[in-house]
Amino acid sequence: MLWQQLANGIAIGSVYALISLGLTMVYGILRILHVAHAGIYALGAYVGLFSFKLVGNFWISLMVGMAGAAIAGYLVERFLYTPLLHLPRIAPLIVSIGLFTALEEAFRIVAGPHTLTYNARIGLGDLSIGSFRLTETQILILFITIIILIFLWAFLTKTRTGLAMRACAQDPETTSSFGVNVSAIIAINFIIGSAMAGAAGVLIGVYDNQVWPTMGSIPAYKALAIVVLGGLGNIPGTVLASIVVGLAETFFIGVLAIPFPRDAVAFVAMILVLMFKPYGLLGKA
Amino acid sequence: MISGYLITILITILIYAMLAHSLNLITGHAGQISLGHAAFFGIGAYSSAMLYTEAGFPFWISVPLAAVVAGIIGALLGIPCLRVRDDFLAITTMGINFVVEAIFLYIPFFGGAMGIGGINLPKWFGRDMTKPEYFFIILITFGLLLLVDRQLGRSWIGLAWASIREDEQAAGAMGVDVVRFKVLAFILGSAIAGLAGGFYAHFLTFIMPQNFGFGQSIVILCMVVFGGIGTRWGPIIGAVILGILPEISRPIMEYRILIYGVLLLAMMRFQPGGLLGAESILSRTFRR
Amino acid sequence: MTLLEVKALSKEFDGLRALDGVSFAARGGEILGIIGPNGAGKTTLFNIISGIYPPSGGEINFEGKSILRLKPHQVSRLGIGRTFQIVRPFQNLDVEANVMVAFGHRVYPSLWKSAGSVWQPEIQKEVQDLIDRVGLRPHLKQIAKTLPLGFKKRLEIARALALQPRLLLLDEPSAGLRFEESLQLMGLIRQVCDQGIGILLIEHNMHVVMDLCKRIVVLDHGSKIAEGSPEEIRSNPLVIQAYLGKEA
Repeated sequence: MLWQQLANGIAIGSVYALISLGLTMVYGILRILHVAHAGIYALGAYVGLFSFKLVGNFWISLMVGMAGAAIAGYLVERFLYTPLLHLPRIAPLIVSIGLFTALEEAFRIVAGPHTLTYNARIGLGDLSIGSFRLTETQILILFITIIILIFLWAFLTKTRTGLAMRACAQDPETTSSFGVNVSAIIAINFIIGSAMAGAAGVLIGVYDNQVWPTMGSIPAYKALAIVVLGGLGNIPGTVLASIVVGLAETFFIGVLAIPFPRDAVAFVAMILVLMFKPYGLLGKA
Repeated sequence: MISGYLITILITILIYAMLAHSLNLITGHAGQISLGHAAFFGIGAYSSAMLYTEAGFPFWISVPLAAVVAGIIGALLGIPCLRVRDDFLAITTMGINFVVEAIFLYIPFFGGAMGIGGINLPKWFGRDMTKPEYFFIILITFGLLLLVDRQLGRSWIGLAWASIREDEQAAGAMGVDVVRFKVLAFILGSAIAGLAGGFYAHFLTFIMPQNFGFGQSIVILCMVVFGGIGTRWGPIIGAVILGILPEISRPIMEYRILIYGVLLLAMMRFQPGGLLGAESILSRTFRR
Repeated sequence: MTLLEVKALSKEFDGLRALDGVSFAARGGEILGIIGPNGAGKTTLFNIISGIYPPSGGEINFEGKSILRLKPHQVSRLGIGRTFQIVRPFQNLDVEANVMVAFGHRVYPSLWKSAGSVWQPEIQKEVQDLIDRVGLRPHLKQIAKTLPLGFKKRLEIARALALQPRLLLLDEPSAGLRFEESLQLMGLIRQVCDQGIGILLIEHNMHVVMDLCKRIVVLDHGSKIAEGSPEEIRSNPLVIQAYLGKEA
């Protein structure tokens, strides 16, 4: 029972990590609260679902979903955020909220208000050891998340572009004086972050077997709370906070059966942590 | 005689104008982003409703008390929030909105998903107030608030807010107690939102948690941004235009949320000052 | 008369020592130069005195009273004004309102008085006189962000003077200015000093420092390495090493 909850918590937490990482990377480099990131996540789910309906292969639909999200993320960065960087920071935030609201409505208008099923199977089957059981989609989520996290880690620490990206997050002006093309770095940052959100969208679509227009609403704000918990812009902190929130939701609501909405857990945790550690779990002043 | 439909729209718009005005105090004047303004609207509505239905207070007491309660809760939540970095403030206020809505929804004391009913329009002269009369009561209250706002605009408080909005650190170095003035803006804004909530509850006669969710906060923010953040009349004009638009056209009603979203996006992208902002097409045309 | 006394002041950021046991004293009516290579801790020193960050150790006394735990607004209300290395006027307010903000230091402690009107003739006159003094009278109603850099620096000084300070912290006032502009600004600084206000001056331009200051404190890597008259500083081998030694 306990182990089962632990596995459930980690599976859900790792999807949170996929969504939140993109958000924290965007914040790290542009200092924008990218609320519309969750719109990109839902877009990834829709694109993945439609391509799945066309070709019937989960892996291809995952790739197409990630690619669709990446392109959308790039367009948002180029045409909405970059032109606004000289304005007070509230401006891109408001744009982001507007975009997110508009995207949700656009999904509803284009794909209909109903919940669509994303019934992808890879034929792996469930894994059972005694009463402990990992479903196929849980295995899938864990597997894909771990692969993506390893890629991200290798990219950020082993490649020149990754190093430049981290340097940019520290100090864009100095970085550009070293001949790094900051605007390209920002674009890559959005593309990677958005592709991860797209993957999360596809995975949640398959996990819950549903895709619906407002599926991004709750992740939008929950991911922000997670990112704050992890210390805005802090990548390891974000992964930790995602898992903590995933576990906390599963335990408090699933095990202890506290009559509280599970989606408010992240915010309560965030508000509590901020009272004592104003810069997040791993954040520094 | 004004039709019931028209007066309903007028009262709704007036309440939204009050909300937009109160958010503008926090976000426009003091420069503190709040994404959870509907929480204080809700706190006001629920306080007034509970005081009226449970404690048996008359409207004339429950509504002002609702403003006081919202102001106090605004202070309690604002003091820790306003010490954190500005980006945290945006997310924390959003979080407050979710938690407040969840409390209304999940704690049976507040009526849960069914909300609270049986809140009536006030009585006076031994009879129920009519809707047009109620409209004028709100209008007069709002007028008084605008007078107070005018004085604030010319006062040291208004100047201190402007300096905080421009540059917190420099403001501190000029003797402005940054946290205190920020909290003051938060209290005033929350209290006015609470007052609007009280009026709203007595007008709707029953309230539900969903009336005060994050979406409502976005609607209020949209009105402020559309009219012009930080201008005196902009948010009110924003509330009037965005309040009337869905009523005059069926398609606009249907795609209301989409239009709000695109409007927020387009306004900030192309007219960041809003309709009445210093750099907007409108004010440039009029200055000529 | 000692105005400001700094004793064994230290500041650590994440284990890095930005300031290490710095002590000195400043007097009224005197310009004390603070120089040192980049990263020596000069701006950190100003930020600690003005209450932006707390020090890790040491003491700061202003007119005999400790100001160690005070917030920026409390420090400024005591009579310590400052300017910033990168100018920070209130960009969207006009010149008059910029100065007016600082004039409010007398009323801000009382919420009731703060609710009173700003635009009273006698206050306006005081503000305008001050703006006159720094030579910005023709730009009274101009929005700060549209002013050229030299004027923004003057505006910052006017704003700091509106606090009616006894001590002024000036962080690189001549940086980025043309030669004549910086000469004019130095004239203004000397005038202010002649009225008995103590000045701490961070400055990179050695001509300016040597010309204006009777005493100079030299910081390097967070420590004070020298203090004395311009002549003494010029011939101090430690100072020469700090400025030149790194290339050798």
